[in-house]
Order: sequence, then structure tokens, then C-alpha cells
Amino acid sequence: MSNSYQAVLHTPTIDSIPFWSACNQEQLLLQRCGECEAFFYYARRLCPHCGSEKISWLQSAGKGTVFSFSEVAVSFFGSEWDADLPYTVVLVDLDEGPRMLSRMLKQDQARVSIGARVQVSFVQVQAQKLPFFELL
Amino acid sequence: MPRVSDQVVIVGAGETKVGKLPGLQSVHIQAWAVQQALVDCGLRVSDLDGLINLDPYAVPHSMFSSTLSEYLGLKPKFLSTLDVGGTVTGMTMLQQAVWAIEAGHCEVVACVYGENALTARAPEQRGLAMQNLMGGQEWEEPFGVHGMVTPYALVAQRYLHQYGATVDDFGEVSVLTRRHALNNENAQMKKPMTLEDHRASKLISSPLRLLDCSLVSDGGGAVILTTRSRARQMGQPFVSIKSMAMRATHSSIAQLPDLEDFGMREAGRDAFEAAGEGPEAMQVALLHDAFSVSVLITLEALGFCQPGQGGNYLRAGHANMGGRCPLNPHGGLLSQAHIGGMLHLTEAVQQLRGRAGRRQIEGARRAVVSGNGGVFSVCGVMVLEAN
Repeated sequence: MSNSYQAVLHTPTIDSIPFWSACNQEQLLLQRCGECEAFFYYARRLCPHCGSEKISWLQSAGKGTVFSFSEVAVSFFGSEWDADLPYTVVLVDLDEGPRMLSRMLKQDQARVSIGARVQVSFVQVQAQKLPFFELL
Repeated sequence: MPRVSDQVVIVGAGETKVGKLPGLQSVHIQAWAVQQALVDCGLRVSDLDGLINLDPYAVPHSMFSSTLSEYLGLKPKFLSTLDVGGTVTGMTMLQQAVWAIEAGHCEVVACVYGENALTARAPEQRGLAMQNLMGGQEWEEPFGVHGMVTPYALVAQRYLHQYGATVDDFGEVSVLTRRHALNNENAQMKKPMTLEDHRASKLISSPLRLLDCSLVSDGGGAVILTTRSRARQMGQPFVSIKSMAMRATHSSIAQLPDLEDFGMREAGRDAFEAAGEGPEAMQVALLHDAFSVSVLITLEALGFCQPGQGGNYLRAGHANMGGRCPLNPHGGLLSQAHIGGMLHLTEAVQQLRGRAGRRQIEGARRAVVSGNGGVFSVCGVMVLEAN
């Protein structure tokens, strides 16, 4: 198993620049609505719960519980990804409320289970640090 | 309560050959499907004055209804191209046709779905990567999620955990639909399948194996709608749309709700309430089966059985031919072909018209069709009835 990670990176949008910039500082940011006070993920310019535009960025504690996971055994990105297989994708219910799609660190990917406690761990991939998760 | 006019009915349905159709592009396949549906009810292309189609996924195309219309030589009074997702696209085509005919825009409408999703793939491509994207890529691809298998695998893993279900429950779906497909001359899969075959098939994205996944297919399907009075004059058996309801909750897997909060439950409740009939009154179920787990979740959401009991429902034989309510007698997306679920609609129509050949369900009067696009993102349920 190689220790490097591959990822398909996107150019951040006007909504998501703060999120991806904070990841490079090893901070997981969530948006919170100033009216209904709900946290939400992913980044957007209105609250998906109440429509308010009073939104601020807050730092998440980065801890959560695994809602589901899948060990990916075949690459859908093409054969150049085969060296990365298998890797484990997770849906994490963050303690602040939102559900987040992410990926487990390699050393923990075979031991993850639904209900497991996890915390964010940033991994450098090309020019971007990505918010992956590890077991707590 | 969503109501559907009873003055517009389905008079014809047709499908192209499915599988690999090398050399044919989407416009050719959609035209072929329309011709098949017209032949089925004794009409000609020149009888059409309305046309509703899908913008193909594999090779996206702008203004595709006008492209197809021109190819067919039509000068229609009503055109539309739709993409709601999965079988919900087909259902929404039918609903839009009902509105257009009822409002007097046109009298005979073809609804058609079809493309060359299999042969248009790049060499070595795995699964179906759609070129018209769904919008969540920025929150999926950096984490290694691409296409539809891993998103459904996350749903399937949660299903196993939440209900204490087993992968054999998934296998029951795959084995049943394969058995049904063997009754269908126009099916991609020709070999029998056992639970052992399912367990031994290649792991794709845990817990989903190859035989949990639907096919990638070339092919098309079409349905013809017209007024009830014209249908009577045509002297053909026809089908009424009793109800249609939909619910959208999210788009990408990154926003997945809890399993029991999927929109299928509410769409089903609305559709059955509007039809005045529940699941117990259905003689055939055409349920969207992009993955084996989808069928279990849908059976449960529609009230055919309790949550987590889908596998036991199948083992009891209720979904077999001759059972309480046969499921996907054509073989579905898992074993006939994946034409976006349009063949669920054409199959429902032919079963209710008594034209399903050797897989005809004796006395089928009412059918329920379910669809979901994305990852149960957009859910739709339609109840159809024979006239």
C-alpha cells in the first residue's frame, strides 16, 4: 500500500474558497445560519434550512460519528488510480449536525465501522490539504 | 392531493433492441423507439403533434426534442426535453403529455427515452460516467467518489447495519430479476444466476458486488398518449394513469438523508392515496432497480413490507411470477437493460394491455411504477390501470 494519496481536485468556487483555504490551515470550517442557527455543509450563500443570507463561518471541532462507509475496490476514475485501491469512503455525522462525505486515512480504513467515532485529519494532496478522517 | 386527468390515456408502447447497438446514436435510437410505439398502436409518425424526450446522458445535446422532431419529419405543436432523474424522468414525460393534451396544445404525444450509453463510452471506462454532471462533484471527487456505485454502496452498508439485513437479501433481488429476464427475449442477460453466483461476484464498492449493479445499455423506449375518445376510436386496449406523485430531498450523496426519510415513502403515500388503492391492490410492481438495495428500500417505503423486511418478502415468493405482486417481470435495470427506467413504464403498459407475451401476468389490472434519480434524490411513484 503506497503512502501517497490521489485525489481529483476542483477549482474552488466563490462559495467554497473560504472552506478550502481553511483546510490548508488545517481548520475544518462550517457555515452557520445567523437566523435559525443551524450549521450546514457544503458551502453556499444561503441557509438551506430557512433561506436566510445571514451566514457566518465557524470552526468545527472536527469530530463525528460514522453514518456509513464503503471500501472502494474498483476505480471509476481510470486505471491510473488502481495503485490507490482499496480506499474507504465515509459519511460522517459531525457533532455540530451536518453530514459530510469524506475518506478515511489509510491506516484506519480497514477498521472503520458504522457508529465509530472519528476526527478530521488533513492530508496534503498536490496543492490542497483535504479533510479526511481517522478513528478516535 | 395530486390529480391526473382521466381524459388522457396511454395507447401504445414500444422498445428498441437493447444491449450493444454499435453505430446508432441517440437520435437514431429514440426515433426507432417512437416508431416501435406507433406500430404497436397502429399510428403513423404523421399522427404525432407532440414530442417529449430525454437529453442523452452519455453524449449531452442541446435542444434534443427539436433534433429528434426534425429527424422524424414532424412539425409538432408541443415539444419538450426532460431530465428529472431515473424513471421519474419517464413519469414526468407522461405527466407533461397529459397536461399538454388536456390543455388542448396537441392530441397525440410520443414520450421517448433512449441513448447509446454503452457503445458511446470511452474504451476502458468502468461503470457509467455521465457527461452531464449532477452538481455535487466538488464535495465528492476529492474524497474518491465518482459515478453512482459508491454512493449506493454507502446506502447499502447503512441498510445492512440499520436492519441487521444480509448481503443475501440483496442477492434475492438480483436472482429474482435475472430469472424474470430469462422470460424476456429482449434482455441483455441470458444466463441463469444463483445466490452463489451473486456472493462470488466481484466486489466493486463494499458491500455492493458486480451482480448488485444494473447494466449499462444502449436502447430506447417510448409511450404514446392521446385523448380517451380518440383511443376508443382506435379500438386498441389502453391504459389510464390513476396517479403520479414525486418528492425531491437532495441531489448528491454528500447530502444523503436518513434511509427512512427518503422521498419514496411520501411519494408512494401520495400516489396510492390519489389512486384510491394501496399496494395490496397492485397486480404488478415495476420498481426502479439501479442497484439491488434500491428494490428493498422501495418495497419497504411503498408499504409492501415493513422496513428491513424486503429480503424476507422476496424469499416468501410474493414478488415471483404467480406471487402476490410480481416484481419487474421484464428483468429490470439489473437484467434486462438500463434505459433509465423507461422500460418499467413500457412493461407496465404492455402488462395492463395484455400484450406482455410469455411473461403476461394473468388478469393484471393495476400496476405501480417507482423511480428514483440520483441516490434516491428524486423519487416518483405512478399508478396505472387497465381500461
